[in-house]
Amino acid sequence: MSNCFKGVVASLVLGLVVTAAPAQAEDISIGGIFPLSGPNAIYGEIFQSSLRLAENHIRADGMLDGNLRILYEDSQALPQQAVLAMNKLVSVNSVPFVMSAFTGPSKAIAPIANRTKTVVVNGGGVGPDLAKLGEYFWNVIPLANTEMRSLLPYMVRERGYKKFALIYVDDPLGEGVREVLEEQLPKLGASLVNDYSIPATAQQFGGLAAKIRNDDPDVVFLASYGDQQVQIIKQLRQNGVTALFASYSAFSTPSVQALPEAEGALYATQAIDFEAKDAFTRRFIDDFKAAYGKMPTVYATNYYNAAMIFAMLGKELQVQGKPITGENLLEQRRKTKSFALVGGSVSFDEQGTLIAPIQIMEVDGSGGNVLKIGNP
Amino acid sequence: MVLLQLLINGIQTGTIYALTAIGFALIFGSTRIFHFAHGAIFVIAAYVFKFTFGDLSLHWGIATIAAVSTAVAVGLLVNFLIYVPIQRHEGSYFTIFVASFGVVIVVQNAIAIIFGRGFVAIETPLSNAVEVVSGLLMAPLFGIALVCSVIILISLHLTLTRTHVGIALRALSQNPELVRTFGLSTRRLSTYAFALGSALVVPGAIFTGAVSGLNPTVGLHIMLISLVATIAGGIGSIWGAAWIAFAIGVAENLVLWQMDSQWSEAVAFAFLLAFLIFRPAGLFRLASAR
Repeated sequence: MSNCFKGVVASLVLGLVVTAAPAQAEDISIGGIFPLSGPNAIYGEIFQSSLRLAENHIRADGMLDGNLRILYEDSQALPQQAVLAMNKLVSVNSVPFVMSAFTGPSKAIAPIANRTKTVVVNGGGVGPDLAKLGEYFWNVIPLANTEMRSLLPYMVRERGYKKFALIYVDDPLGEGVREVLEEQLPKLGASLVNDYSIPATAQQFGGLAAKIRNDDPDVVFLASYGDQQVQIIKQLRQNGVTALFASYSAFSTPSVQALPEAEGALYATQAIDFEAKDAFTRRFIDDFKAAYGKMPTVYATNYYNAAMIFAMLGKELQVQGKPITGENLLEQRRKTKSFALVGGSVSFDEQGTLIAPIQIMEVDGSGGNVLKIGNP
Repeated sequence: MVLLQLLINGIQTGTIYALTAIGFALIFGSTRIFHFAHGAIFVIAAYVFKFTFGDLSLHWGIATIAAVSTAVAVGLLVNFLIYVPIQRHEGSYFTIFVASFGVVIVVQNAIAIIFGRGFVAIETPLSNAVEVVSGLLMAPLFGIALVCSVIILISLHLTLTRTHVGIALRALSQNPELVRTFGLSTRRLSTYAFALGSALVVPGAIFTGAVSGLNPTVGLHIMLISLVATIAGGIGSIWGAAWIAFAIGVAENLVLWQMDSQWSEAVAFAFLLAFLIFRPAGLFRLASAR
């Protein structure tokens, strides 16, 4: 057999093999920019736990024509790291959809999202500014100002607290919380007796406790997160501060819930009905408990919902024969009036922030006691 | 009263800083190895104490022995497995610093994997402040830390001035060539410096775990204080490092009297800058033939 003939036969065989092989579904990649190292890495673990579940459920249900892959990048909860991560996800991985967390990093990547028409969904940052970051920036979590609009009237009118002191991290979230307190408390007949800004890296609060004791407030409002808020609560209590602690949804983390010194603290979160009987909610709760041996937190639920929103929108686009791009995802979200997610049906407001009822909670050592539920 | 309370808090913080800084000052002064992993030894000691005392509910004495043993063992291992081979290949000062920094990253991640990334604390009622006079609160742990510091500093002083090893370590700090001329092994003396310096980190680590709590990254701040104290105190001067670290702790708290806590952390660098400008050789200037 001549070499030429051999070559023709080999080409034919190769061609047959290639054409006979089943079509391989392409990967559909989306991004997750979370703190995976550093003092806030505990949040990254919480977010990833529910996203693993979402990936499994989306694959098992064949929601998308293609294998969903979530590419994680470490932000360390820092804006500059988040920008590097966002640039990589957009430029190298060409993802149409990115999940972000924390107010500072989310604000930092929003301009890239708008410039490159990439959807960014925040499920953990609650700084009030996050509502105004452009049409490609969505929030699947009510923001701190919405939570505080429910919490502050309850604390002042129904519980009779009048004097508030604030400890806030010097970042966009902390500034946002301070502005809301300065604006809302006088209207309610209460006052902000003092406010203390702290760096995000501070770990010693004994001196601050002395200052707070001197202010003698009814309530110490905290605008911090991660390990730091646990350290603040613990050290203030150890150093004789007896005032009630309060915060936005940051207190819903397991570390605060398990802290004896935090017992009785008040906070507000979005109300998610974990007792809802619909199959979607039950599947998430049951599988989460089976995988991790505990109930999911609000944050874990938000990121599951974020991934599911992507899958629902992506599925609809594929049915219509449209590519899954940021532009098409935005257009499809605007056409979709509501989404059936964990806890019930929800919708977005005009700025792209989830509309959800707010609940007033009390730290009770066992995951939080619901005191009141209402619409913001 | 607020000022007095801040002063009390400052003395407590300063005591913990001083205990940690003298270990680093001893190692750096004697060996000139930029042992950035000292912060990692601090974290390891704190977590070992937390595990044995808090989780296994062993007696605090046993937990302290476990923490000291682990700190010394890890300190020696870092010296033998990392610094000695680099020095043998005449690696530069900067190479050792980078390697030491790598140890910090590895330890941080190992601690996070073993103990979790979240905040933990050494639980003890001794860290709860009680009112000693109207409006002035003090934790029993404050007194214990103070007494421990005095005992440790006196013991260290006696060790460095009355024992052969101590005198040799001081000599190594000032004139290593002379030490070799006398037939002493600088390598062996370095081993003593690492063992002693690593053991000295333990009290500060335990008090920090009880007062402020722990996470895998807690060693970085303490390392920064130790570094500033060692340079501003005068390289080779353990007492200089102890005084500067103590002063930083006091100043960090006193600054809160009139200023925001944002300025608290800037105090350490203000100290360093002031000394670099006005007294570049540090608080206690030591003669050195290096």
